[in-house]
Amino acid sequence: MRFLLRRLGFFVLTLWAAMTINFLIPHMMPGSPAQVLKAKLNHSGRIASPEQLNALLASFGFDPHAGLFSQYITYLKDMLTFNWGVSIGGSSLGASVTSMIRQALPWTLGLVGVATIMAFVIGTLIGIVAGWRRGGLLDGIVPPVFVVTSALPYFWVALLSIVLFANGAHALLPNDGNYDLGLQPEWSGQFIGSVLKHAILPAGTILITAIGGWILTMRNNTITTLAEDYVRMARAKGLPNRRIMFDYAARNALLPNLSGFAMSLGYVIGGTILVEYVFNYPGLGHMFYLATAGTDYPLLQALFMLVTLAVLVCVLIADFAIFLLDPRARAKG
Amino acid sequence: MRRLKGAAVAVSVGVLAAACGGSSHNTSNTTPTSSATGATSAPSSAPSSGGSATGEHKKGGSVTISNEAGQNWTCQFNPFNPAVNSLSLGFVYEPLVYVNSLQAGKETPMLASSYKWSDDKKSITFLIRDGVKWNDGQPVTADDVAFTFNLMKQNSALDLYSLWTGAGLQSVTANGNQVTMAFAGNAQTYFYLFAGQVGIVPKHIWSTGDPAAKPDTWADEKPVGSGPFMVNPCTPNNITYTANPDYWQPGKPWIQKVQYPAYLDNGPANLDLANGKAQWGGQYIPNIDAAYKSKSKDNNYWFPPMTNVALIPNNDPSHKATSTLAVRQAIAAALDRQKISELGESGYQPAANQTGIVTPTFDKYFDADALKASGYDKPNPDKAKQLLTSAGYGPDKPLKLTVITVSGYTDWDASLAVVKQQLKPIGIDLTVQDLEGQTYNDRLYKGDFDLAYGPQLSGGPSPYYELRQLLYSKNSAPIGTDAPSNYERYSNAEVDKLFDDYATADDATQVSIIKQISAHMISDVPFIPTTESVDWYQYNTSDLQGWPTKDNAYAQPAPWNFPDDEQVLLNLWSKSAQK
Repeated sequence: MRFLLRRLGFFVLTLWAAMTINFLIPHMMPGSPAQVLKAKLNHSGRIASPEQLNALLASFGFDPHAGLFSQYITYLKDMLTFNWGVSIGGSSLGASVTSMIRQALPWTLGLVGVATIMAFVIGTLIGIVAGWRRGGLLDGIVPPVFVVTSALPYFWVALLSIVLFANGAHALLPNDGNYDLGLQPEWSGQFIGSVLKHAILPAGTILITAIGGWILTMRNNTITTLAEDYVRMARAKGLPNRRIMFDYAARNALLPNLSGFAMSLGYVIGGTILVEYVFNYPGLGHMFYLATAGTDYPLLQALFMLVTLAVLVCVLIADFAIFLLDPRARAKG
Repeated sequence: MRRLKGAAVAVSVGVLAAACGGSSHNTSNTTPTSSATGATSAPSSAPSSGGSATGEHKKGGSVTISNEAGQNWTCQFNPFNPAVNSLSLGFVYEPLVYVNSLQAGKETPMLASSYKWSDDKKSITFLIRDGVKWNDGQPVTADDVAFTFNLMKQNSALDLYSLWTGAGLQSVTANGNQVTMAFAGNAQTYFYLFAGQVGIVPKHIWSTGDPAAKPDTWADEKPVGSGPFMVNPCTPNNITYTANPDYWQPGKPWIQKVQYPAYLDNGPANLDLANGKAQWGGQYIPNIDAAYKSKSKDNNYWFPPMTNVALIPNNDPSHKATSTLAVRQAIAAALDRQKISELGESGYQPAANQTGIVTPTFDKYFDADALKASGYDKPNPDKAKQLLTSAGYGPDKPLKLTVITVSGYTDWDASLAVVKQQLKPIGIDLTVQDLEGQTYNDRLYKGDFDLAYGPQLSGGPSPYYELRQLLYSKNSAPIGTDAPSNYERYSNAEVDKLFDDYATADDATQVSIIKQISAHMISDVPFIPTTESVDWYQYNTSDLQGWPTKDNAYAQPAPWNFPDDEQVLLNLWSKSAQK
């Protein structure tokens, strides 16, 4: 019980610290919302006065004259009450932050979430088999290859895949967006097909770069576990290989990877900014980028908040899961 | 937007409007081609007599716009929201009068059928057109017009053009079918803004409920306006506009549908233009002849110049070198602007000149003789060297200067590389510093630079609008505070007086005043124009006719030019629909 309470206390403290940093960092960026707006208002030879810019921003809920501390208090209150206000950045001025996030979130969850889970599942399976048949053909080829690919930078793989598969007028796959312009979102074969087609390259990029880590750690964990006495005993009992591999070796080898997986699930919310940027995929990562470029404090703060929450909640769940799965954690707690 | 991807997106939020609105220019108008057909549809005459052009063409057809948005649509259409008003003004909301910057401010009556100034030009009375309906069926009245302007008074955030605070607007009253606006002083230079740029909104919508409570932040997802098109529907990826069946110009619009996809990137936006999937573009297309023009005989482009791209020297005494007149003169004399245009801008943006007058758009104000007499009409490295020596620098003792620019604006980088080369022999060692959009803006506004490349301001129906932004001392600010638009911190009481006089002068005097301001551009060299920023504009004539062209410049042609877009939409017609 003390272990759980301590974990929860730690969660609250981390959340507060992270939220404070989330507030401060955007305010340290160069530029200000007023300057972004000034460029936006630049039309028809008009000159926007600072008073006018501030009046406009104030009506959208951002008062540049309020002190940093009072902004901070308002921010904490708004974040915790889920009252996230409206965007004050460039082209989305006045759009509700909640609805912007609601619009982008499914795309990121669908793309990055599914790709991350697939990377973990496939990577783990390959790792188990490679560790089990240590020195075999699979072990000799697959892990080294994927270790190399996982060392490649995201954006480089993304650009390379565009050059290979999505270049020119008759490209194999689209390189841009989430579905064909002109289609309406609906449950039709054409729409779903278009979504899938647009997801192949970005998801493939994430898969290729993320899978190597899982393979390598899982393989090594499996090898370590295979040397344990209980595996030897299982063999001595004459259990079938498959059962030993999954129920004895893999189950224990998986434990250390759980926290890592939980954290990577948390990071899904942030989208993989580079991948979404290169493929112009309108998810949260792309939005993150636009919000930064537009000094869009409300949107940035909400996005940071989501990432923080997602990571912390996933880590907390992983902690609890380990607490349930591993008696040693309980004993020490 | 217009530049290459990195650039475009990097500044998309900050400079979207400026990037779109700001730039560019013409050069080789390669394309007189088939465009002329549209001209016969009498674009200028059409609305001028209020309705006129009776169904010259049958209705039908649609147009798709290609203009990189950089992000999905938020489906807001509030005409007072500067982030989205280009999507509703012109399409749905109309001004009182359309003022064409490309034809010396030529006027086309829209919601006002006529107007009359008082003798001192302190008050103006508009006669509101009869028989115009909002697209929900209610009539447009003088009351609506007065309501719109008074709404801007009550909510200063709506007053995007500072009419009540800056232009001296004092009252707007409706009387029968007339609306009278009273100003504190002569208001003729503001006509372009209050009559030409403000979209009129319906009182019966905006005086109740959400729009009345929060007119500035209201999303206005289903805009009710008097314009030729209605939003039907908007999704994050695409806006569909359909024709307003009860539009007040009989038989118009001819085109029945407008598609406006949200392109996240220049790549697909340019590709769709090249293959004809989109017919109306406002895109910067690198190497446009090969990437676009050559793909179809129906692909055309035209880049009308509107404002200056310039080297902006910091005139503040705290920057010793650039506040020295001889140094600025030396730079102005050394530049070969033709080369900068050809090598840096592939000729798409033509060479500018030291008078600050954008030609050929504003030829009327251009003093060619004065330019010739000044010697700035062609590069003169020897004179430049002498001037620089007189300031204490030279090839042996080079002057080190840094110019800031926006990273990713590859054409600017190329231009500056040419500038650097041209300045080197006279003894200036130029360093080009690429800055991320926001940092660039911050330093430009605050005056933290020796030289800046830019400035991405917008123009108006005469050079007055651009030059006043750049040269009027009230638009300056001390170093360290954001200057509204006079970034070089130029201050000259005589020039200020000229701008003040312009506001009350008649047409002929205005021309002579602009020429006097040009004389100061030549003698003081407050900034150094290099090329002319253009409106990027591509159009496909395979089915659609009636486009604005170089020979028939009835409106600023890019889809992001508002409310000019309405004039284009009212003149387009489809060949295939005529059978």
